[in-house]
Amino acid sequence: MTAHAADPAPPLLEVRDLVVELATPRGPLRVVDGVSFTVARREVFGVVGESGSGKSITMLAVMGLLPPGMRIAAGTIRLDGQSLPDLDAERLRRLRGGRMAMIFQDPMTSLNPVLRIGTQIAEAVRLHHPDWPAARVHARVIEVLGLVGIPDPARRYRQYPNEFSGGMRQRAMIAMAIANEPDLLVADEPTTALDVTIQAQVMAVLAEARARTGAAMVLITHDLGLVAEVADRVAVMYGGRFMESAAVEDLFRVPSHPYSVGLMASLPRLDRQGEALYSIPGQPPGLADRPAGCAFHPRCGLSADRADCVARVPELRRLGAGAHAVACHFAAETPAWRDSPMVHPPAPPPAAAPAAAARGSGLAVRDLCKEFRVSRPRRWGSDRLHAVAGLSFTIARGETLGLVGESGCGKSTLGRVILGLHQATRGEITLDGEDISRRRARRHRRRMQVVFQDPYASLDPRMSVFEIIAEPLRINGVFRAERVAEMLAHVGLSPDMAERRPAEFSGGQRQRIAIARALALDPEILILDEAVSALDVSIQAQIINLLKGLQRRFGLTFLFIAHDLSVVRHISDRVAVMYLGRIVEMGSREQVFDRPAHPYTQSLLSAVPVADPAARRARIILEGDLPNPLHPPSGCAFRTRCFKARPLCAEAPPALEDRTGGGQLTACHFPEPGMPAVAAMAATRQG
Amino acid sequence: MRVRRSASLYFALAMLFGVAVLVAVVPLLPVYDPYKQDLGASLTPPFEMIGDRLSLFGTDQLGRDILSRLALAGQVSLFIGLATVVLSLFIGVALGLIAGFFRGWPDTLIMGLADLQLSIPRVLILIAVAAIVGSTIPVLVLLLALTSWVAYGRVARAMAMSLREREFVLSAVTQGASATWNIRKHLLPNVMPQMLIVGSFELGQVIVLEASLSYLGLGIQPPLPSWGLMISEGQSYVEFDPWLSLLPGICIFMLVAGVQFLTQAFTSETDAEGEPAPRPTT
Repeated sequence: MTAHAADPAPPLLEVRDLVVELATPRGPLRVVDGVSFTVARREVFGVVGESGSGKSITMLAVMGLLPPGMRIAAGTIRLDGQSLPDLDAERLRRLRGGRMAMIFQDPMTSLNPVLRIGTQIAEAVRLHHPDWPAARVHARVIEVLGLVGIPDPARRYRQYPNEFSGGMRQRAMIAMAIANEPDLLVADEPTTALDVTIQAQVMAVLAEARARTGAAMVLITHDLGLVAEVADRVAVMYGGRFMESAAVEDLFRVPSHPYSVGLMASLPRLDRQGEALYSIPGQPPGLADRPAGCAFHPRCGLSADRADCVARVPELRRLGAGAHAVACHFAAETPAWRDSPMVHPPAPPPAAAPAAAARGSGLAVRDLCKEFRVSRPRRWGSDRLHAVAGLSFTIARGETLGLVGESGCGKSTLGRVILGLHQATRGEITLDGEDISRRRARRHRRRMQVVFQDPYASLDPRMSVFEIIAEPLRINGVFRAERVAEMLAHVGLSPDMAERRPAEFSGGQRQRIAIARALALDPEILILDEAVSALDVSIQAQIINLLKGLQRRFGLTFLFIAHDLSVVRHISDRVAVMYLGRIVEMGSREQVFDRPAHPYTQSLLSAVPVADPAARRARIILEGDLPNPLHPPSGCAFRTRCFKARPLCAEAPPALEDRTGGGQLTACHFPEPGMPAVAAMAATRQG
Repeated sequence: MRVRRSASLYFALAMLFGVAVLVAVVPLLPVYDPYKQDLGASLTPPFEMIGDRLSLFGTDQLGRDILSRLALAGQVSLFIGLATVVLSLFIGVALGLIAGFFRGWPDTLIMGLADLQLSIPRVLILIAVAAIVGSTIPVLVLLLALTSWVAYGRVARAMAMSLREREFVLSAVTQGASATWNIRKHLLPNVMPQMLIVGSFELGQVIVLEASLSYLGLGIQPPLPSWGLMISEGQSYVEFDPWLSLLPGICIFMLVAGVQFLTQAFTSETDAEGEPAPRPTT
């Protein structure tokens, strides 16, 4: 992480005017359209972009791994002065995994499920060191497994990928990538599939592995926070081109392309709250319909369709003397626009929640339990999985309760039990005082609706949009065609889209359709189960703003289930944090985010990357993985990963109660509001 | 639904066109009565004159015109094939969707029945029942359908099991939809394309199965011809007059292979999700 722009040494990787084309029946399309960059030794170069921007394809081209149908049409790629596209397949193969290695997003599909982990890594080592004896290869594999923090590497060597958790698999992938001490690591969304505490572990491992091997890294990601924390230099990619390229501090301090400015303004931030999000209008263009001129101009808040933006492709030009370069005809106008109220829309008047609360008590959940029976492998009988283990909370009318937790904590199960998709094992769910947890309460169902995470699985592919939104009306015998048009208008879709099928829509538009369907019956409560998690940043901001607008307009009550703490902070009034089926902390947004008292909340918050390089900070990195929920630890379920754990924690499960005053509920024997100093915390762990 | 244009597609269309001409057009022409015997002209080879007329495909051992018998036999075989596929598809989809959507005891029951059926050779059941009940065309269709629903049932069940967990079904449930609604509106339209593919494979199977039954004398009864029966009748003459068995064999091949190739041209572009072909991601 040292300076590099002025480094006189030749760059490790140099890409000049790279063009990648995809062959289609209607002629070639440019996936990557003239990209140039260099990566110095030991440097971390971040490439940020939304899906379809061409960021992964750029690096696949460097690796010589372009998918069928794509080819490098122009440009040069040099690794240490050696031109890569000119190499024959055999020599390129020897470079891959030797001098450059790639880490993919999904460790599940990147590892061969029928081979032992150790065997797969040994294979990588042997490919590049055919002369090494077996014992030496074995020793090297054990060494790299240890290096990436896999405990007990000799035993883990003999295990199969399905015996590894997601975070451990990604560590194994990293081990495989660094096994031959490459000069260049390409990490494509390396932590996107992981939970935030595991992401923090993996990024720490990656940093340490790089420090040991001295590898440079290209980090491809959509996560501005991750880039801000890890990268030295960053390029922002859109429509197959670099829009902006700068040192990480400069990019985040003075973003100078309207797209970069828009991206940052549309990102909910963990360290801020309150203001409405800027949302970049429209959606990223598909490959076939990239606009002429500047690819971003139809969505640009600065361009206003000026002739230059429509007609001419802007070059990536330096701003001043430094390395900060921007591809915008009007980059000089960006600073003024950046600070204008257009980009920072004023916060809307606060919702009339207190008044609405008077109309009814809202949703109340008391001592709710949901158990699943899980049959034992290789043995008789079954175990009980306590997916939801005794939860109690209320959501007042018009309020938003954010429910945060990592995967497997039971937050989605909770949503489904409330919706009646699962029958509760025990406990009570009341809506305005009426018990709705019984089966015969089907007529209450329409008062609560749901929006799911996956915009692709949410809509029946064989139905038209009209039929999808009409379905709830038809089920309940209240179908009116005007109502469907009305719903489309509410979610910002035009009525002429009604006859099309879901496959013709992008993720964000599909999510709008799903919201329209959920609202068609005029529900009181909307359960949003990771409703914005699958969307690109700019689209996510649109949907969040839409949801907030609809909530104000119709007085909706939200249960907002998510793993993304920044989004939860932005949208929630109150927040509950779940761990292994229990709420460990609950309070107002300010209480939970500014003065967290439970160590789990504290570590979650510290693990989230913040999109501000100036705020790089030490973080609490939780050890280990989530315990097996079939056999949760005794006492406090979190104690096995807790930096404060003492003997009492193993004996008595702490109740969720007000331990710190002010109505903030914490399930911890040793609550301490506020973020602990990391040094003090490490000392606690020693002691 | 897009079709992949390839050589095998045109080959398939050509073969099916040939069968269609034989079955639909030939009976309209002034050809000979398929039942009329002429012992004096028995076993005439193809392309020879009988008196003053050309016998295109020759005659059989009873002097009946093979071309017109092939046409009639084709109608019989096709009817049995299509009727069986429609009936077994209906049974299979209904049972499969019920088993996959409700799980629990209906699933145990239906899948138990399916496993039981699969464990007994299908031909054995057919032979046994046909021998006892006799074999009229309706009985044959019913028998064939009852023994071939399992293929549809298993695929429909597997798809129903995954579809019932899909969010669009769950959200319909939260809106108060009944099981019938979900099966009718969401499951059925999503499994039908797959079922038609299974059906096209089964059509070939059923026609061959009917042919084997008729060959054993347990299917279509003479003098009504079916392609399988014609092969069986020509068996004794195969050494010197091979066309008797060869011609109906070619007909079966053209129909079955034609349908298979045609299905393949369709299946390569469709899937149950109705999603477009995957686009390259970043």
